[in-house]
Amino acid sequence: MGYDPNNPMEGRITDLGPRSYTEMLPPVIAANKGKWDYHEIIAPGVLLHVSESGAECYTVRVGSPRLVSIAYVRDLCDIADKHCEGYLRFTTRNNVEFMVDSKEKCDALIADLKTQSSKFPIGGTGACVTNIVHTQGWVHCHTPATDASGPVKAVMDDLFEYFGSMTLPAQVRIALACCLNMCGAVHASDIAILGIHRKPPMVDHSRITGVCEIPLAISACPLGAVKPAKAKVGDQEVKTVQVNAERCMFCGNCYTMCPAMPLADPDGDGIAILVGGKVSNAKSAPKFSKLVVPFLPNTPPRWPETVAVIRKIVEVYAKDARKYERIGEWAERIGWEKFFEKCEIPFTDKSIDDYRLAYDTWRTTTQFKFTKATEAYTSK
Amino acid sequence: MAMSIEEVEAAIIAKATKSPKPQLYIKDFYECDTERKPRDIKKIANALVTKGKMMFWSSGSTTMYALPERIKNEENAEGIN
Amino acid sequence: MAKHATPLLDELEKGPWPSFVTDMKRQAETHPECWDILGQLELSYKDKITHWKHGGIVGVFGYGGGIVGRYSDVPKKFPGVEHFHTVRIAQPSGLYYSTKNLRALMDLWDKYGSGMTNMHGSTGDMIFLGTRTENLEPLFWDLTHDLDQDLGGSGSNLRTPSCCLGESRCEWSCYDTQDVCYHLTMHYQDEIHRPAFPYKFKFKFSGCPNDCVAAIARSDFALLGTWKDDIRINQAAVKEYVAGNYPSNGGAHAGGDWGKFDIKKEVINLCPTGCMWMEGDELKIDNAECNRCMHCINVMPRALKPGKEKGATVCVGAKAPILDGAQFATMVIPFIEVSKENEYENLIDVIEQIWDWWMEVGKNRERVGETMQRVGLPTFLRVMEIDAMPQHVKEPRSNPYVFWKEEEVEGGWERDVQAFRRKHAA
Repeated sequence: MGYDPNNPMEGRITDLGPRSYTEMLPPVIAANKGKWDYHEIIAPGVLLHVSESGAECYTVRVGSPRLVSIAYVRDLCDIADKHCEGYLRFTTRNNVEFMVDSKEKCDALIADLKTQSSKFPIGGTGACVTNIVHTQGWVHCHTPATDASGPVKAVMDDLFEYFGSMTLPAQVRIALACCLNMCGAVHASDIAILGIHRKPPMVDHSRITGVCEIPLAISACPLGAVKPAKAKVGDQEVKTVQVNAERCMFCGNCYTMCPAMPLADPDGDGIAILVGGKVSNAKSAPKFSKLVVPFLPNTPPRWPETVAVIRKIVEVYAKDARKYERIGEWAERIGWEKFFEKCEIPFTDKSIDDYRLAYDTWRTTTQFKFTKATEAYTSK
Repeated sequence: MAMSIEEVEAAIIAKATKSPKPQLYIKDFYECDTERKPRDIKKIANALVTKGKMMFWSSGSTTMYALPERIKNEENAEGIN
Repeated sequence: MAKHATPLLDELEKGPWPSFVTDMKRQAETHPECWDILGQLELSYKDKITHWKHGGIVGVFGYGGGIVGRYSDVPKKFPGVEHFHTVRIAQPSGLYYSTKNLRALMDLWDKYGSGMTNMHGSTGDMIFLGTRTENLEPLFWDLTHDLDQDLGGSGSNLRTPSCCLGESRCEWSCYDTQDVCYHLTMHYQDEIHRPAFPYKFKFKFSGCPNDCVAAIARSDFALLGTWKDDIRINQAAVKEYVAGNYPSNGGAHAGGDWGKFDIKKEVINLCPTGCMWMEGDELKIDNAECNRCMHCINVMPRALKPGKEKGATVCVGAKAPILDGAQFATMVIPFIEVSKENEYENLIDVIEQIWDWWMEVGKNRERVGETMQRVGLPTFLRVMEIDAMPQHVKEPRSNPYVFWKEEEVEGGWERDVQAFRRKHAA
């Protein structure tokens, strides 16, 4: 028996919640939960956790594209069934982890994964560029300003050497959100790839009364740029809205509430790059990512401009930062003026905050460094 | 005299019927019985959805309430709750 | 045989990182609607714009969340994705799976969906990507009856709570994140499935201040593990690190040419509070000065461990930038016990104190962090019945415009202007 459309309420079950985590733990994890003594990354992508009992858990981490098929997930299950007693886990950054309880099993697991390395690259540990957390983009979202899976694939292809190694000063966390809603928490990432719109919404007067509640569209605007209006549709006068384009900050919140106000556009949309955020409380407090490149065009299929900017930042950081220094900590130590100079990113007024609480970010000290940007004042 | 659940339900339906706005936030219903805590009003409103007398409308990020006949949507015919 | 030519997407089959295009093409062999996903995506690559439109009221009966509706705006070209709703499936705490369960979930999606998933979505749910409206109820039936599991949250609901892997495989976790997450998820099933609030509300649970689930950046209620006694030191292991026998930072820097480990340079001088020093070959910590940032513990995991009296810090009000800018969660309760024994009753009390106030005072589509900002932290602390302490701020305010209350001022605010005038000519 199954769902009966003629009797939808019969036998209905709700509010079960997820399955308990206790059913999902590999035996070595279940037996040693709460008793772990220490861990060590024994090779890129391979972690060893040692329990107070002396038990060992070897974890092999592989990257995944996050957007994955059921066939792919079944492949993961095959590996877990063969090597890991039928268990596996995912990380919060879309990596997959296979766990075994001995070095021999770990070696066999790695050997197997290496035969499928185009599908299961090993890495993502320590001072590396790990997997990019990202949103849906053009694969599923209705408000994106760029794709997600495509730029992520292009950037990870380019930075691949850093995924499977641990040569950087610290971990580099990259995230992509395909619009300013930031479903992916890119606002606290070492490098954030952010889809942005740059054209104000159009108003589809013929659709607006049918699909949209006008007061909601008006109140959705944080800057009061959407006002009630009347328009002629055929010979009928309809209630609609008008947009004060000069006040628009292109957030798209109106479109979220009102489908008759589309703002996406092939030329208007593109990517902004923000850097220097972090979540961890280690050493310095969590930091927001800061806008350093206000706009790069959408250039599918491989977004070369975006890829190039990110590679440049990672390479300069890799050479210049001190051990343990996150990108944001490095930029603060050398000064943001030096960050722009070293990364050869032109500074524009778009990087100066003029939204709310902006003054907090303006420089109110005589302490700064002279760089190329100040040459007009210092050269004879 | 405290309102019964039936009376609060009736007040919620009346509000959803008369309001110039077809879709309402849960906060709009708090006034239906100011003696009850917002969480209790929410439970009564959600129970009305289960009874088929109201519907949820969701943008994905925000959820609102409406009478089934007053709901606005891109794909009006698709509604099932 | 490909149903649509995808010359642009084919470029994404090149390169060493696993290709979602290759994967989707393979899935298309058994799920032909994947050709239409590829076809529509190719069109977006050509047009540089999305071809999806708003969702609306799609869901399973009686739930206000868990399904996000989506429709193609080119359904004639790509009928396989005319409806392309996502289904959020509540994930097991810590994202561990048995293959038995994972295979059952994939079989379910094989039966009702496009064959594509996200492992996982940003909030933490497993995402089944793309199905038709008429499949939703049957899918939900099988999910609940056969798999004994459920949808996650969306809309103005409690969103599916998530946690780091915690004690299950991490020696630093200061409480059992998986258990708290699971317990509260079960406790608040109603709030997860049906709208409850002015806007979304998220719980995230991290076992230590390293915050691997980004609780402080992303959740309205962030619980971050911490300890209130002294960092535990194993002096023998300190010597091993100093001698270079143990790799620094758990081996995280093994690929770099950083030279010999230097405890002074890498640990003591990088301590943000300067509370560490060497006495001979012993490492000393002035724990009263420690702010528990984790750096020294991260660098020397075999020598240093969080203390034994563990619990958590409660931070409230993080959010992404929409609309007034991003906010990190504000530290509200410095230390709270986290114990299975009382079924986390004390946490539930704190959560419901926030909710009762926010449901009343919060504006529509206002996250709790925005409400806090609008009314001010002092007001929020009064609501929470928490006395203000210096730990609540980075620094004291620099403007003097304090909103004094009448009862705080001797003699109150009622005054006699006539009496004033008798002493002070106009």
